[in-house]
Amino acid sequence: MKMKKVLSILLASAVMVSALTGCGSDKKESAADSNTIKLGVFLPLTGDNAAGGELELRGIKLANKLHPEVLGKKVELVVADNKSDKAEAASVAARLIEKDKVVTLLGSYGSSLAMAAGNIVKESKVPAIGTSCTNPQVTANNDYYFRACFIDPFQGTVMANYAYNKGARKVAIVQEVSNDYSVGLAKFFKEAFVKLTGDKDAIIDIANYQTGDKDFTAVLTNLKAKNPDAVFAPGNFTESALLIKQARQLGIEAPFMGGDTWETQEFIDVGGKEVEGAVMSTAFDREKASTEEAQKFLKAYTDEYKSEPSALTAMAYDSYLIAIDAIKRANSTDPQKIRDAIAKTKDLEAVTGKTTLDENGDAIKAAVIKEVKNGKFKYLDFVDVK
Amino acid sequence: MDKKRNMLLTAVCVVVLFGAACFAQFELDSYIRRIINLCLIYAIIGLSMNLTNGFAGQFSLGQAGFMAVGAYVVGIFTVPVELRENVFYAVPMNPLIADIEMPLWLALLVGGLLSALIAFLIGTPVLRLRGDYLAIATLGFSEIIRIIITNAQSFTNGALGIKDIPALNDVRYIYIATAVTFLFITALINSSYGRAFKAIREDEIAAEAMGINLFRHKCLAFMLSAFFAGIGGGLYGALLGTVDPKNFLFTLTYNFLLIIVLGGMGSITGSMLGAVIVTAGLEFLRIFDEPMALFGMDIPLFRPGFRMVIFSILLMVCVLFWRKGIMGTSEFTWDKFITFCKNPVKYCLGKGAK
Repeated sequence: MKMKKVLSILLASAVMVSALTGCGSDKKESAADSNTIKLGVFLPLTGDNAAGGELELRGIKLANKLHPEVLGKKVELVVADNKSDKAEAASVAARLIEKDKVVTLLGSYGSSLAMAAGNIVKESKVPAIGTSCTNPQVTANNDYYFRACFIDPFQGTVMANYAYNKGARKVAIVQEVSNDYSVGLAKFFKEAFVKLTGDKDAIIDIANYQTGDKDFTAVLTNLKAKNPDAVFAPGNFTESALLIKQARQLGIEAPFMGGDTWETQEFIDVGGKEVEGAVMSTAFDREKASTEEAQKFLKAYTDEYKSEPSALTAMAYDSYLIAIDAIKRANSTDPQKIRDAIAKTKDLEAVTGKTTLDENGDAIKAAVIKEVKNGKFKYLDFVDVK
Repeated sequence: MDKKRNMLLTAVCVVVLFGAACFAQFELDSYIRRIINLCLIYAIIGLSMNLTNGFAGQFSLGQAGFMAVGAYVVGIFTVPVELRENVFYAVPMNPLIADIEMPLWLALLVGGLLSALIAFLIGTPVLRLRGDYLAIATLGFSEIIRIIITNAQSFTNGALGIKDIPALNDVRYIYIATAVTFLFITALINSSYGRAFKAIREDEIAAEAMGINLFRHKCLAFMLSAFFAGIGGGLYGALLGTVDPKNFLFTLTYNFLLIIVLGGMGSITGSMLGAVIVTAGLEFLRIFDEPMALFGMDIPLFRPGFRMVIFSILLMVCVLFWRKGIMGTSEFTWDKFITFCKNPVKYCLGKGAK
C-alpha cells in the first residue's frame, strides 16, 4: 500500500515536471518566432517503415545544414514521428500545423501515411511536399499536396519501355498484392506494355503473393510453364530477392525487372549471386548526377555518413529544396502564398535532376535504370521524360 | 430514490459533456479535436472489445477485422460517385455498387450490421472453442477478412486503399456515437443479459446449470461486440478520410487489448479511461520526442521514439501495481463519487484500511 502511494506521488511529480518543461519550451518558441521559419517534417521514425523514414530524415537534415537560411531568416525543422501508423500520421500533421505553426510540411515515406495527412493539409491550407509517396492518389484531388518523387504510373511505363526496347514481347507480372506500390506499378506496366506491343495478350500471366511470403514455388512453377521473355516483379526487397533466388533454382532464366524499392543493400545480401542481372528503375544515380546541387549533396553526404546516399535520401533532400525555393519566390511565409509558389516550381536545380511540378503537383523528372552487377548497383540507362 | 438521483446525474453529465463537445468543436484547434475524436472512437472499440473479453469472458482477438468491415463499408459507400473513378484508377469499381452512395450515418449502421452478421457466421463454429483456442481462431478470422479485402480489388480497391472519404472531424457527431454506445452497453450489462454474461465468465458449467443458454449468450455478446467495433471502425475511417488494408493488421487489435487491460477487464468506465489514457497519454508524451536541452547541453536520449520507451515503462509500472487494471472490475459510480466529495480524506483512508 505504502509502495503504491510513493509510486503515485512519483508518477504525479513526473507528469508535473514534464508539463512544466512543456510550458517552458513553448515560451522559448514564441520568442524566437519572428526570426525563424518553421518547416514540419513528419516521417515514420519508429515502426515498420522506420528504415525508410530514417534515410529521408538524413536527406532533409543535410539540406537544412547546407541551406540554413531563406529570406534572411533561419529555417527550423520540427521533426515528428508518425510511428508508421495512419492515425498517428494524421494527428502529427495536425499537431505540426496547429501547435508548431509550420509553414510547410515535408513527408512522408509511405503513401498511406501521406494520404492520412491529406485531408488535414487541405483543411488548414498549409502545403505539404511528399518525399517518396508514389501512389497517384496522394496528390489527386488535393491542391495542397505536392511531391518530389515520380509516381507509380511513370515508373511502370519506364520499365515497360525498357522491356520493349530490349526485345521482350511476352512478359509475366508477379505482384505483391498487399502492397499498393507493387499493384500500382504492375497495373501501369501492363497498360504501357500492351500499348507498345499492340498485343492484347502480351502479358501472359499475372501472379500474386502476399507481403511476408517466403515460399514462391507454386507461383514460379506456373510461371516456368508459360516461359516469359521477362518477368516484372515490383515489390519489397526481401520478398523480391527470395522470389528471384527461387526462380533461378527452378531454372527460370528470364530476366527480372522491378522498381526503386530494390535499390537497397539488403536486396543483394538476401539474393546473393542469383539477383545478378536484375534490372530496376530509380530516381538517382551518382554517375548521372549532373546538377551542381547533386555534387554538393554527394560530397556533404559522404563526409557526414561515410556511405553512399540512397535515392530516398536524395528525394527527401529535394523536397526541402522545393520548399525553400518556393518560400524564396513567394517572398513570404504565408502558407497560401507558398502553396501557389510551389505549384509554379519549374526547372529547379535539384539533386535528382531539374524538377518541374505538373498540374497535379507531381514531379516530372527523369528516371535512371540500374542493374545488379558483381554485387553492386550499376548504372545502365537514363530515361528522360517526353 | 438513489437510483433516480443517479440516473438524473448521468443524464446531466451526458448533456454537460455534449456542451463540452460543442465547445471543443467551435473553440479548439483541429489538432486537439482530432485527439479528442480519436479518444472517443477508441473508447467505442475498447467498450466493444470489453463486452466479449471482459464481461462474457471469451478471449477474442478479432476486433481489427470487424473494424475493417465497418471502415470499408464507410469507405466504399460514402465516397462521392464523381470522385470514384479517380480513386479506383487501377481496377474500375464493380458496377453493382458503383452508383450507390450513402450518408455517413447509414453507412455506419450498415457497416455495424454487416460486422454483426459476419460475427454470427464466424461465431457459430468458433465460439465452441475456449480460451487460447478461441483467441487464435478469431485472430485468424480477422486476418482472413483483411486478406479478402486486399484481394477483392473491384470492391475495395485492394492494397491501393480508398481516399476522399468525406472528412469527419466533428466532436459532436463522434461524441453522440460514443455516448449512445456507452449508455447501451451500461444498460445491457445491468440487465439480465449482463448478469448472464458475467455468470458465463465466472463459470460456464455453473452458468449452464442455472439455465443460461451458453451458446446464445456468447453469440449475442460476440455479435454486439462486432457491431460496435464496426461502428467504431467506420468512424475511424471517416476521421482519417482514407482506409487501406494495412491499417487493420492484427497488431491493431493489441492496441485495444491494451486499452481494456489497462482500464480493467470488465469495467465500462475503465475502458473509457483506458482509451483516454492510451491515446491522449501517447500524444502528451510527445514532449520526449522533441530535442531537449538541459544547461545548454542536448540530451541525446530525447529523440523520436523515446516516448515509446517511457510509455512502455509506465505500462509495466501500471501492470505491476494495478494487476487488474486501473479500475479492476469495479465501476465509477455516483454513490462512491458523492462519498468521496463529502470527505475525500476519510474515503481514501477507509479504502486503505480494507
